[in-house]
Amino acid sequence: MVAGLLLLALFLFFLPGGYQAPVRQAVRGTALRPFLALQGEVVARRVRSVDLAELRAERDSLAAVVAAQVTLGEENRRLRALLGLRSRAEPAFRPADVVRIGVAGAESSFLLDVGAADGVVVGSPVLSAEGLVGVVWEVDEHTSQAIDWTHPDFRASAMTADGEAYGLVEPRRGRFREEDLLALTGAPFHSDIKPGTRVVTSGRGGIYPRGIPIGVVVGIEEADTGWRKSYLLRPAVRPESVMHVLVGIRKDQGGEADLSQLWHISAPPDTVRSVPVDSTASADGAATGARP
Amino acid sequence: MIGGRRWPFWTLIALLVVAHFVLHLGLGLGAAAPDLLTVAVLLAARRMRAVAAAAFGLAVGVIRDSLSLTAFGADAVVLTLLAYLGARSRDLFVGDSLIFVGVYLFVGKWLHDALYYLIAGSTLRGDTVVRLFIQAPIAALYAAVAGVAVLTVYRLITGER
Repeated sequence: MVAGLLLLALFLFFLPGGYQAPVRQAVRGTALRPFLALQGEVVARRVRSVDLAELRAERDSLAAVVAAQVTLGEENRRLRALLGLRSRAEPAFRPADVVRIGVAGAESSFLLDVGAADGVVVGSPVLSAEGLVGVVWEVDEHTSQAIDWTHPDFRASAMTADGEAYGLVEPRRGRFREEDLLALTGAPFHSDIKPGTRVVTSGRGGIYPRGIPIGVVVGIEEADTGWRKSYLLRPAVRPESVMHVLVGIRKDQGGEADLSQLWHISAPPDTVRSVPVDSTASADGAATGARP
Repeated sequence: MIGGRRWPFWTLIALLVVAHFVLHLGLGLGAAAPDLLTVAVLLAARRMRAVAAAAFGLAVGVIRDSLSLTAFGADAVVLTLLAYLGARSRDLFVGDSLIFVGVYLFVGKWLHDALYYLIAGSTLRGDTVVRLFIQAPIAALYAAVAGVAVLTVYRLITGER
């Protein structure tokens, strides 16, 4: 009997992620619901007690991002209408509060107080005014769970702000959370990316809109393969300090959107993306690595 | 610890479980709060049959695992095993003194962290030596002290010896 219970536990452990999610959601929605509600209340009180100026600055930054996005979207629609072009999908965002999870095994994840009812889907990007925070991993009706960029499974298709080099960004974990960095891997071997160069999302892979700041190059990580180089990045956002975020709510169109202008980035158009070859998009989708 | 009315003890176990989630999840204290869930499983296991203890460990393990995106099931495995070992420890060690309970909780919590690291180590931060021989003993000592303190208060209130 005990062996059976142990086997059941092992079965849960080795269950594929897609089958584990409903179990997790069921437990969160029942046994842990009062505790999650309590934490939501605690976070709300904490927010009210935070220095008003600091809070206002963070909210204003987010509001500026949203306002700029709306303005640019409107301008884009108007110009496209003038040129007789089909209207392109624009991303939309929901503001959300971040709720930290203080249990083992949930270090690089956090809860958001928006869910499926707000239009959030698995794979929705999570942004702050400084740049990319992470991606939504699981969605309940009114809450969702996201991973930040320090999570071992985080990947983002990226490019330098000038569009000269493309690659894949992944975390490099330090001994402590504060030591975590990012790395731009898969950059062409002939590329010479100078320290201080901004790295942003490339929009490839259909997860993150193009042009969201990820970090700044601090130096080369390795170049010993003979084929490509890896660069270490100082992240644009420290996840532990984020309290308010914007969550993308149109995941199906996220990859097509371009948010470069919001952060004053003027990357040239992605010529690869204009090539109508399905296999390219598929490869990019796989390259992002992220489960969504 | 055996004998007399049972409900005060099971109320204590329920309170420990609730307190764990209030501190770790509700208030978001994380490692700043002791692991009362493991303490509850270890204390309960000493009064349960092996099968019931394993089932209890599995249940609370799944609840705690529901917030883990990368190691779901790891704590369920560890707490099932730990609860079983806790129940079987009655065959080897008989005693209810606070010193014995303190040592029992310390060893049990350290074993929990070691097994958890063994199963879910690839998803965790830090190196093995630091985790097993610095972080785990500190967390085990914290849990043991908290467990002994709670048990002392419980015995003062109920008069149980």
